[in-house]
Amino acid sequence: MINKRKVLKMLQYIFSYAIALIWLIPLLWMFITSFKPDGSVVTIISELIKPPFTLHNYIKVKNTSMIPRWALNSIIVAAIQTAATLMVCSLTAFALSQMKFRGKKLVLVLITAGLFIPAESIVVPLYTFIVKLGWVNTYKALILPGIAMPLGVLILKQFYDSMPKELTEAASIDGASPFKIWSRILFPLSRTSLASLGIFAFIQSWNNYLWPLVAASDTSMMTLPVAVPTFQSSFNTSFSVPMAANVLASLPALIVFLIFQKNIVKGIAMTGIK
Amino acid sequence: MRSRAKPKENIITKRKSEAKYNISAWLFILPFLILYLVFMIYPIISGFLTSFTTGQFGIESKFNGLGNYIYMMKDKYFWQALGNTLLFVIISTPTIVIFGLLFSLIVNSAIKGTTFLRSSFFIPYMLSISVTTSIWKFILQPYTGFLNGLLHQMGVKDEIYWLGSTPLAWLSILIVTLWWTVGFNMILFLAGLQEIPDSLYEAASIDGANSWEKFCSITLPSLRGVIALVVQLQIVASFKLFGQPWLLTGGGPGTSTRPIVQYIYQTAFRSWDSGYASAMSFILFIVIGLFTLIHNKLSQRIEG
Repeated sequence: MINKRKVLKMLQYIFSYAIALIWLIPLLWMFITSFKPDGSVVTIISELIKPPFTLHNYIKVKNTSMIPRWALNSIIVAAIQTAATLMVCSLTAFALSQMKFRGKKLVLVLITAGLFIPAESIVVPLYTFIVKLGWVNTYKALILPGIAMPLGVLILKQFYDSMPKELTEAASIDGASPFKIWSRILFPLSRTSLASLGIFAFIQSWNNYLWPLVAASDTSMMTLPVAVPTFQSSFNTSFSVPMAANVLASLPALIVFLIFQKNIVKGIAMTGIK
Repeated sequence: MRSRAKPKENIITKRKSEAKYNISAWLFILPFLILYLVFMIYPIISGFLTSFTTGQFGIESKFNGLGNYIYMMKDKYFWQALGNTLLFVIISTPTIVIFGLLFSLIVNSAIKGTTFLRSSFFIPYMLSISVTTSIWKFILQPYTGFLNGLLHQMGVKDEIYWLGSTPLAWLSILIVTLWWTVGFNMILFLAGLQEIPDSLYEAASIDGANSWEKFCSITLPSLRGVIALVVQLQIVASFKLFGQPWLLTGGGPGTSTRPIVQYIYQTAFRSWDSGYASAMSFILFIVIGLFTLIHNKLSQRIEG
């Protein structure tokens, strides 16, 4: 009986770690290949992990691409979008949760319906719109459409709904305005929810592909996900330089992941709350 | 005001005049609402209107009635692309949901190193679609790719064209999507698993239930709500399929792996036919809406 359990436990370990290894191999392959001299054999594992290693590929990426500029674009877009999303979603969620006004039901229905509108189905009219505004290849076009995030409002509303009513009641009796109640009490209290939601929104924005592909055709306005394939397409036969570009393009997100792992997991788990 | 309204809504209102409250509440909502109406609701409406025109970027558009929709009915490429997307939805949804559940069970089990395992399964989700497809393109390449190299070492003689032939190209797209996004489902399931009280499992152990019986009689029923949500999110995500085929196969060989979003993209931004692209976008919107509705009805029935 005990032996059978031990064997089962061992099988469980082997199975679990084998899958984890399979999941990590593409990433490990990317990292190692990015340090191999151009033209080395990267298809056989024993050859792959043997020196020499070099930084030459990274230097080549730096010299032949605009990667710092693309990274800057990605950071500007993702950072502003995330900050603005948190701000407007929190304000809206506060009003929907704590205040009474005419038309509230309609606003709530409208926002909930937005959960089911895929961005892919509005890309064409949205592009027509920014062409009319003359916004093609601008930060405005990259940033503004992604700010109003229905999911963000609903998550934060849920959090504000769960707050003990004594909190806002006391402040209200003391004569605090709704704006003060939001800015001094509820906004600071929702720090953890905001952090989790913020990281989630940041990743989404950072990795967004279709809209930036459409809205930015000028190389200097591209974000990383759009620019990197364009850059790589000139290296059809080389493995090493494209992989170095991949590592550089992924590094910020991977660092964010390592630092904020817990918040990311929480942020995604929050989207599951109904 | 009726007495059944939530008490917390009264707190602030009772001391102030209602009119003043109306205005300040709308001020709170205004920034969101403007952005939402301008960049979400307006495009839907204008897209719907454009779908009845001969809209071409840069050229004056003319009213075209149902012309685009009639053309669509006869356009074999439209049906092929829609069929491709539906095929992907039908195959990828159960696959990625089941793997997500399996991974969450692994990560939630009593073994050492669950943080490491969780990170390993989740980390691809942090990559952009471009990096993901770029890595896999080089792995799946014939002659110089990592996977074929590995298979050759294991004694496989044939050169396998993972991206250049169907159905292998579809299998590749499925595997890449699974690798890239399964971590997201895993986290949702994990949150659901951690909500199940241990006492349920303990009681079942006392009754002499084995692991499989516990999984069927406790875990699965407790996860009903989460499963419904994950399936819903996965269906919508699979309908949006674009980047994987676009960057891996270009929709090929031929147009055999071209999904509807790619066809819309090419119609709008390669042929510059915004009228026809808008009509297809609207149909996509309706199809996703229908699937959502059907799924909601079904899961309500299952949940009782």
